[in-house]
Amino acid sequence: MKQFLAIATALVLAAGSLLTAAPSHAQAKGDVVIGLQCDRTGPTQIVGTVLCPGFHDYIALINSKGGVEGRQIKALEIDHEYKVPPGIEAYERHKKEGAVTMAVYGTPHIYAMAAKLTEDRIPGTSPGFGSAAAADGIRYPYIFPIAATYWSQGAAAVDFVKKQLGGSLKGKKIAFIFYDNPAGREPIEVLEDLSALEGFQLKTFAVPPPGVEMGAQVLDIAQRYRADFVIGHLFGGAPSVSIKEFKRVGYPLRKFVSFVWGAGEANIEGAGGFAVAEGYYVMQFAGVGTDYPVLNEIREMYKKQGKPAPKEMASTVFYNRGVLIAALHVEAIRNALKAKPDGKITGEDTKKGFEKISNFTLGGLVPPLKVTPTDHEGGGLVQIWQVKGGKFEKVTDWFAAYQDVVAKHIKEAGAKK
Amino acid sequence: MIHRECGVLKTTYEADMGLYPLPIAKWTVAALGVLFVVVIPLSLHEYYLSVANLVWIAVIGALGLNILVGYTGQVSIGHGAFMSVGAYTAANLANRLGSPWPVNLLAGGLMAALIGAIVGIPSLRIKGLYLAIATLAGQLIIEWTINHVTFISGGVQASIEVARPRLGPMVLSSQRDMYYFLLVFVVLGIAGTMNLMRTRVGRAFIAIRDHDIAAEIIGINIFRYKLLAFAISSFYAGVTGVLYTYFLGIANYEQFQIGVSIDYLAMIIIGGLGSVLGSIFGAIFVTLLPIVIRYAMEAFGGIFFAPQTVLNLIPNLRLMLFGALIIFFLIVEPEGLNRLWRNIRSYFRVWPFAY
Amino acid sequence: MSDDLSFFFLLMSNGLLIGLMYSLIALGFVLVYKATDAINFAQGEFVMIAGFVTAGALMVWGAPLWVAVALALVSLVAFGFVLERVMLRRLIGRPVIAVVMATIGLAAILRGVGPFVIFSGTKPLPLPIRDEPFMLGPIFIPPIQLLGAGVSLAFLAGFGWFFLKSRKGIAMRAVADNQQVAMAMGIDVERYFGVAWAMTGVVSALGGILWGNLLGVDVNLALVGFKVFPVVILGGLDSIPGAIIGGLIVGVVENIAAGYVDPYVGGGTKDFAPYVLMILALMIRPYGIFGKRIIERV
Repeated sequence: MKQFLAIATALVLAAGSLLTAAPSHAQAKGDVVIGLQCDRTGPTQIVGTVLCPGFHDYIALINSKGGVEGRQIKALEIDHEYKVPPGIEAYERHKKEGAVTMAVYGTPHIYAMAAKLTEDRIPGTSPGFGSAAAADGIRYPYIFPIAATYWSQGAAAVDFVKKQLGGSLKGKKIAFIFYDNPAGREPIEVLEDLSALEGFQLKTFAVPPPGVEMGAQVLDIAQRYRADFVIGHLFGGAPSVSIKEFKRVGYPLRKFVSFVWGAGEANIEGAGGFAVAEGYYVMQFAGVGTDYPVLNEIREMYKKQGKPAPKEMASTVFYNRGVLIAALHVEAIRNALKAKPDGKITGEDTKKGFEKISNFTLGGLVPPLKVTPTDHEGGGLVQIWQVKGGKFEKVTDWFAAYQDVVAKHIKEAGAKK
Repeated sequence: MIHRECGVLKTTYEADMGLYPLPIAKWTVAALGVLFVVVIPLSLHEYYLSVANLVWIAVIGALGLNILVGYTGQVSIGHGAFMSVGAYTAANLANRLGSPWPVNLLAGGLMAALIGAIVGIPSLRIKGLYLAIATLAGQLIIEWTINHVTFISGGVQASIEVARPRLGPMVLSSQRDMYYFLLVFVVLGIAGTMNLMRTRVGRAFIAIRDHDIAAEIIGINIFRYKLLAFAISSFYAGVTGVLYTYFLGIANYEQFQIGVSIDYLAMIIIGGLGSVLGSIFGAIFVTLLPIVIRYAMEAFGGIFFAPQTVLNLIPNLRLMLFGALIIFFLIVEPEGLNRLWRNIRSYFRVWPFAY
Repeated sequence: MSDDLSFFFLLMSNGLLIGLMYSLIALGFVLVYKATDAINFAQGEFVMIAGFVTAGALMVWGAPLWVAVALALVSLVAFGFVLERVMLRRLIGRPVIAVVMATIGLAAILRGVGPFVIFSGTKPLPLPIRDEPFMLGPIFIPPIQLLGAGVSLAFLAGFGWFFLKSRKGIAMRAVADNQQVAMAMGIDVERYFGVAWAMTGVVSALGGILWGNLLGVDVNLALVGFKVFPVVILGGLDSIPGAIIGGLIVGVVENIAAGYVDPYVGGGTKDFAPYVLMILALMIRPYGIFGKRIIERV
């Protein structure tokens, strides 16, 4: 009994003191704070455990070079396990610490925070996920997809398929295999429009969660529908399964192009390694590989500290995305600080900072985005890479396609409410 | 509550069943009222209020689940889905008919109650594990339906934006406004549950939990009361979902998936099954645990580990600690935090003359 | 053979084979329930952790395959024993929800332990079998699924013999039937509980290796646990042949749903159809196809 009492009191006291004594270093030192949400333990951890270190490494690099306009950057990471309530708590904590920009992580989270971001006037980013309609900077002034949305990815995929099939899609059969959740279904409306426009046949194949098995869908694509090309939009462990299943039914992987979340080294590893996935096309919104000046600088930074480069760097797809997201946040802060010489920037200033991003490519790792007050996506640029000889090889340079169709959908979505 | 009850002798059944066990309890409640209505919202930073708001939402959901699991002895792993039913009902009403929030709140609760009662029908024939799996199926079927019927979900994105609740000319949007808004429902929820358990219905629930066959023999219509338990519990869940929707300004089914159902079960088990206070403790505990772990690691983790390791350690530690605590409570203190609290109280009851 | 017909056969064969892979996981669940009346909501995580151990041994420490498999078997059996001793024995006689919740807690711990202690990220689990399918007329038979089906059926035969003929198996059935009487007959009930959990460890280890090969090893491997519930309810919670039949039914139903219902619904009905079927089964025959008919009616 007494022990219980002692433990209980100790716990209550500890909790209480921690809660009240929460320090806010950020304002004191004049650091600029970025709120970084992350998922290192939830269902998307294979992305989060690599992407977030990439984010931190870039921030460390900037700080080691003297910061931005003389100010140090602080990325405060909070893990939310891909659950929404902890995400809300993270957002409020970041706000309390004076964050001027939020790197939100997760589609349900960007939805949950959409109203708050606008009310609090803090920009939040959703690179490669979230709602495609958020590209509309007038309708959603504080949400920045800053990378190709699912609509742009769908459009780019169709364009790529068109080139692969010899320049015309008339009468061709395209299969779209997707994870059966809102994010997975989002591109369908754009694909349907394009199918009418280009005259190809489109058939969709849903993979319901948890997506551990998709034999029937793959058999259907390969044996009944006999698709000329497959566009894949899967998450989590499902991309690995799809690679294996297509391989198993003898469908050539060089007729498969995957959206950005089935495009990582981890997805290939899960399918059994690069040798198995030979030919598989993937879409990327950040450069792939280790050969970029900024990555060399990060390695250099670690070397100076006498440490080996972190092992996360080997998983270049997600790591580079982390670097890209961090770099865009830093760039927005740089623009904001430049515009305000007194250095007292708010969320509104970083919002304007984001809207000034252009010609910022970080040696090819970042696409040549052009973010404007009306276009928060920045052009919908992607690259296609292919698994070839044990690694990813670049197939196309940055490109965007059918932006008029995408724009039409963005406009319709904005008018709906 | 927290008083010495020495010298208070009850002479009537009414007194014994009173909501306030002692005259002084009224004052305690009043003091708590002042603390929660005046002191906390006016002195704390918005961030702490946002945490409090998450706790309030969790308290209402946990109370509801406890009515079903703790008081009636039926298992449900589908509570997250009932919340989404409430959320989408309210969001659709708000956007299609423009109805005010009190209407939506009630409608959301009632719709969830209806769906909950339907999902509860298997409880008439099966119980225990079978019922748990049947409600799990209910969760998955409701999720699937919302996900695929655009009439409900409002489009492929399955998320419907909802305007902030208004109180006359006032728009409730800041965390402080929300704090008061939610607090009203927490008080209603607590009072509702406490009173429910003193009525014929509540007693019938407890009788069913303790022995269903005996309950039937003494004239309790099991069919009716089991469904009623599912309905009332789901009503709470639906209201939770609606409040959540107004809190976030958006209804999105991905916020109510199976993990949420499990979190709420963890709350009532850690807090204490079949106890109002336990539901509150559990909701507080499960909501605050990750936050406290993170603060502790931020403060002390740097002493032992490199910064990058700490960042990786926090979430993993939280996950493992969460699991370990559930097991710990189940093994060591099956009656949960509520029991712990009663132990502390009974210790102080005779303190300092503990013999 | 017409295209439609051969597609139908393809779906059926795929369903039957994948169904047996589900059975493999369901077997672990049934074994524990049969012997100890406990419900293991962490079955998927058992499989996942077995995958982590094997893939960790193979890919991180570079051990040969047989060592990795042995390590997985030994560690899962040991884990089963320890778990029974430390956690489940203390929960005997407590309500269903207590055991359910304890195993959910265990699942959370395992999901933290796997990636944090063994390795983070995704690793393949290569087995020395080829990826290219055997062709049987129009029907493909992927070797890994054939192996999975083989293992499932071997377990069915093995456990069938064990429970019907061996002394230990009969003792275990006695324990499952009535713990008090079994104790009075001089059976060491707690020891058999341990044995049951250890047996589940063996099944989960092999399940983890096979499914790990199929999916790659990371936390998402635990999601196969969700497939268990319809399988065991359909087959009967305490029946080993039921787990096999339930797996076959679920596999076939899933494939039929994906092949013939999805195009009309415009969504994935594959993982949803077995649950609907399960609800119907609960209404009509709550004890499953092969389950004992002693379900409590209320």
